[in-house]
Amino acid sequence: MTATNRLWFEAMRYTLIVAALIIFLIPIAWMATLAFKPVAEWTTAISEITWLPKNPTLGNFEFIFTGETDEVVITLPNTATRPIFASLVVASLSTLLAVVVGTLGAYGVSRFGVGKNLPLSVLQLRLFPPMAVMIPVMMMWSYLALVDTFWGLSLIYGIVTLPFSFWLMKTFFDEVPREIEEAALVEGCSQWRVFYRVTIPMVKAPLATTVLFVFILNWSDYIIALLLTRKDWVTIPVYMNSLNTAMTGEMYGAKAAMGLIAAIPPVVLGIIIQKHLVRGLTFGALKQ
Amino acid sequence: MTTSTTTVTGAPELSLAQQGVKLGRWMTLPTQLLLVFIFAFPGAMIIYVSMSWWGPLDGVPWYYAYESLNWFDNYAELLEDERFWGSMWRTFIIMIVVVPVEFFLGLGLAILFVDNFALKRVFYSVLLMPMMVVPAVAGYMFYILFQSNGPINQLLSLITGYEIDLVWLSDPDNAFIAIMVADIWQWTPLMFLILLAGLLGVPEDQLKAATLLGANWGQKFWRIALPKMRIVMVIALVIRAVEAFKLFDVMYVMTKGGPGVATETISVYIYKVTFLELEWSYVSAIGFAVLMFLTALGGIGIAILANAQKKRLADVVD
Repeated sequence: MTATNRLWFEAMRYTLIVAALIIFLIPIAWMATLAFKPVAEWTTAISEITWLPKNPTLGNFEFIFTGETDEVVITLPNTATRPIFASLVVASLSTLLAVVVGTLGAYGVSRFGVGKNLPLSVLQLRLFPPMAVMIPVMMMWSYLALVDTFWGLSLIYGIVTLPFSFWLMKTFFDEVPREIEEAALVEGCSQWRVFYRVTIPMVKAPLATTVLFVFILNWSDYIIALLLTRKDWVTIPVYMNSLNTAMTGEMYGAKAAMGLIAAIPPVVLGIIIQKHLVRGLTFGALKQ
Repeated sequence: MTTSTTTVTGAPELSLAQQGVKLGRWMTLPTQLLLVFIFAFPGAMIIYVSMSWWGPLDGVPWYYAYESLNWFDNYAELLEDERFWGSMWRTFIIMIVVVPVEFFLGLGLAILFVDNFALKRVFYSVLLMPMMVVPAVAGYMFYILFQSNGPINQLLSLITGYEIDLVWLSDPDNAFIAIMVADIWQWTPLMFLILLAGLLGVPEDQLKAATLLGANWGQKFWRIALPKMRIVMVIALVIRAVEAFKLFDVMYVMTKGGPGVATETISVYIYKVTFLELEWSYVSAIGFAVLMFLTALGGIGIAILANAQKKRLADVVD
């Protein structure tokens, strides 16, 4: 590539990426500024709503964390602290469950050819419309005394996101060159050791992608948590939905503040995971 | 490319293959257990209840559903239910518009991100952000953004120079567009994420070799990267197609399926029948029918996938 071509390409790249960023950021910017607007600024007619808050305030955050603020007369029965804790616990545990079980199962199917029907059955799990299956699941959970417990919620999340971890990992395991594994086997390494010492390091990038995606799904679910929690383990999305009153209507500012806080854990996880998202050198290790 | 089970021959190695199968069984066991756990009772209950008139207001537990057994009346009703077919059709339209758009946008962005450049990490993090906004919140944001005097119209007026005051959420066609925009906004980053992981898996030495041989950018993409990515692409498409089919949170907040039934997708329809009309036996029939329908689609997807994998193996042998 000549220098001019190179320059053109770079210019194009930055233009396109910046354009995409701006479009992607519009709703997020809206949410972020809304979170700092006082009540008066989001209860006015919509045409009067400005992009930037005229009188920035932390009132919305104060409201969800302490249950009261000078701007509104009502007080909240529950603050956001407990739902944040519940969401963190449940999303982490369920992600762990889904990724560990899914990765093991995917490797078993991909390498050793066990469970020929497993891929389709796992996929079926995700094909069921969640609404339709929630009635029996609600009953089952109440028979087993799993309603409103963190393990009950983690279990169902782990199960509904299992198809993603299973399928993503199966795809990537299928793609890993087997010659390296075979070399390790010939060296006398046991198959289990080959799996976690040789294969897992090779699929670090896909594994990181899978963890992030599964975590986001578990973190943001609304309907399952709505049906399977009562008060102790209410998660952020369910809590957020309760931020409205007959008197004030939807508390948009408080919701935006909550939404902003709710975006922090996935973003942090994304940043942590990013360093694993580099092209693996492993493929180069193989002389093809 | 050969599997470890076929490369080895002879008596001691045979036990290696057997060991593999044994280990494979242990590794898949947790998945099997979870599947049995979640399928056995709910599956049986759905099929059983779907063949009766039982509902939560009957005052008897679900296992007495045989008292109003009607065999296949619910399914017969389903065939003639215009609202059901309408919602299926709308869901399908959303799926076939939204998934390809997300795919190509995601692929385009992924291609831009393959090699290193300044600020790559920052851009990458920001691009993933829409996915990280809880869908229910995203719904509220779009609800405000799409109001007739709202920010979207203000922006459009600013860009085009004309006074634009489109009615978005209470016009049937525009509401449809608005929920698609919201879905594309939220899930393009996922396509980008999966496809980028796939692109990064393309062996670098092959790309370098091609560069040395004088291949241009397009050739490298079409001849080397694309064949290697075929399977990842199918997976990304299947995952998004399935999720698009179940679209609920964002659009329910935005339109509640309205105006009228203009944006009523299958999930919204099921939700309404479950919690507003309380016809639980009918919901079970819908759920079971949709599962069967999607399983057929999934089966086709898996067949395509197996085919792609075979082709891929053939490529490697060449």
